[in-house]
Amino acid sequence: MRRSLRVALLATVATCFAGAALAQDLITKDRVGPADAPKTLTFRLTGDGPGNTDPAYAEAYKKVFVDFIQKHPGWQIKLERMSDNIGQEQARMLEQAKSGSGPDCAAVDSFVLALFMNAGVLKPLNEYFTQAEIDDLFPFVREGITGKDGKIYAWWWGTDLRVLYRNKDIVPTAPETWEELKAAAIASKDKGMEGVLVNGGRWEGTTFDWLANFWAQGGKLVDENGKPIFAEGENREKFLKAVNYFKDLVDSGAAPKRVATIVNYDEFNAAATAGTTALFIGGNWQLAQLKNTMEPEEFAKWTFSPIPGPTKDQRSTGTGGWTVGAFSNDPEKVALCAAIAKDIYAGPGNEIQQQLPTSKAIFNKYDVFKSEANQAFAAALVDGQARPGVPIYPEISNQIQVMMGDVLTGAKTPEAALDAANAAVQAAYSRL
Amino acid sequence: MRRIEENPFSWLLPVAILLGVFYLYPIFDVLRLAFTNASLRGGEEHYTVDSFVALIANPALPDILWTTFVFTAGSVIGQQFFGLGIAVLVMRGERRRLYGMTALRTIVLIAWVIPGIANGLIWQMLFSEAPFGAINSVLRMMSIQPVAWLSDPGIAMISAIVSNVWRGTAFSMIVFYAALKGIDPTLYEAASVDGANGWQRFRFITLPQMRAAILVNSILITIATLNTFDAIISLTGGGPGRATEVLSLYTFNTVFRNLDLAGGSVLSVLMLVISLVLAVGYASFLPRREANE
Repeated sequence: MRRSLRVALLATVATCFAGAALAQDLITKDRVGPADAPKTLTFRLTGDGPGNTDPAYAEAYKKVFVDFIQKHPGWQIKLERMSDNIGQEQARMLEQAKSGSGPDCAAVDSFVLALFMNAGVLKPLNEYFTQAEIDDLFPFVREGITGKDGKIYAWWWGTDLRVLYRNKDIVPTAPETWEELKAAAIASKDKGMEGVLVNGGRWEGTTFDWLANFWAQGGKLVDENGKPIFAEGENREKFLKAVNYFKDLVDSGAAPKRVATIVNYDEFNAAATAGTTALFIGGNWQLAQLKNTMEPEEFAKWTFSPIPGPTKDQRSTGTGGWTVGAFSNDPEKVALCAAIAKDIYAGPGNEIQQQLPTSKAIFNKYDVFKSEANQAFAAALVDGQARPGVPIYPEISNQIQVMMGDVLTGAKTPEAALDAANAAVQAAYSRL
Repeated sequence: MRRIEENPFSWLLPVAILLGVFYLYPIFDVLRLAFTNASLRGGEEHYTVDSFVALIANPALPDILWTTFVFTAGSVIGQQFFGLGIAVLVMRGERRRLYGMTALRTIVLIAWVIPGIANGLIWQMLFSEAPFGAINSVLRMMSIQPVAWLSDPGIAMISAIVSNVWRGTAFSMIVFYAALKGIDPTLYEAASVDGANGWQRFRFITLPQMRAAILVNSILITIATLNTFDAIISLTGGGPGRATEVLSLYTFNTVFRNLDLAGGSVLSVLMLVISLVLAVGYASFLPRREANE
């Protein structure tokens, strides 16, 4: 009896090791599935995958990817990792997809999805998702993935939003208006902090985070035909008001001049962890990052609230996120790509990284989204606004980044910077 | 059977094919794209001169060209100056058999092998204006006011030049070190006999003997600097505003942000023309071989 027990134990251990070794064989740095699998799918992904820089996230993704490939025998997925320069990576991928040399399946940033759809490089995914699943998506998500023909051309699996983070020990009350934020930031300086931190350098985050202040007033970047109108009529006034707000933050010392150099949300994490700032406008995903980075007693001091508006009633926040789209002409590959979106990202991926789901069903499915913080993020999605899915948006964003640098450093007045930005955008629009 | 050296086409052909495929074809394709309305957004492609017209009418272009000129001139002067200085230092140290000359050469070369993106990131950390930024922290410890290395448009350009000079100096040093090694030592011995001091030996022997090396180095590093964008994109991204947006970065942004392939191609042609003009200009100053040599 004892002998048979030992044999059984040994067999169990051996099976476990064999299983682990098999799992190791099934996933490498650039491949998921057996190397000799007859069918191959190339999948270009961001850090949302086995290559995540956070070891816990990477391990969790590895498990999900291995489980997935075991359910799809005969396939191997070749992983192509994008660099962090997302704008460049997406533009390069669009060029490759147009010339037929793109990946079979890829992560497409929600803000450039319209470009990909208009370029005609994405394959419809309707047959892989039920109408109920599509109808359950948040309206801005459903609208974002739907083409002019009514078909869906990608699956938008995770969304995000921006909030105002604050150290409660230094800023006890959540600022609700621009004036209150300015006052709180100046007060935090008296306690040795460097004021409120925002993105202000040459990158998409600068435009996106600042736009909340323009949208909160009801400002529109483009009209219903996609024509840029941000410098016309009431939009011009609202635009200048939002620009002047940021300029005032810097001029008054409520924000350090160095915000004009900030091109990464990680800078906020670094400053918060170093204890040099008590206020910053960042993404919802940063709460989990702060938790992983800080000592528990330090993390307990941090909380978040909606981005302040010009008045308490005027609120907005930018909502972004990632989609998965298929470029391949092979129906089998399109089906596998849709399965990746559905089985890896919409659900497990949301849970792993606490990326906000895009449908009520997934919000309700995972306990992690029942936490007080994630419920608050979900509630804030009510004020969410996505960037306009129009071809001219990347150039509008580029010009806003240039304008912000010119204004925050005092190189140009807001009016002159807006005029220059508008001239450049209109010239680009006329060439579309 | 003819010997291979009597039939140059057979051994030149592979080189010609390689050059044609990897150098000439892209140039021709960029020229072709410059005369189209090509865009990464899709749509019909047709031939037009609109991209050239748009470039000429672009109000941002003069600022971009001026920024490029300042960055290139500053980088070239800095790299030549420090490259020559270090090469002379190493030569003198070796003549006097001082220890550490190999280590000095190696340290300078380390900067050269660092990729441009990494170079930008390293200097971004050094120039960081956060309270924990490297250089500013040292300045604070010395009771000196911190400097707006990257957020002040004027200083940001100086910071970009410093990072580029730091990385590029090694190349100049190698070229000048090789040139210094090639100078006949009897020239210095004769000058010493004539009573020339150190400055006079440098002024009347070293510099004239290195004229070709200095010009060749100038051509190479000017073209390299003109095409630099990786270090700047990771250091400043071209900002604040457009303070450090040089022509190469502007070209990159035109293609990969504005998705304007034709506009980017026109800018690439402009860069090619500037590089060619500079190269021809420099080369015209190169010493010529005598006809009877």
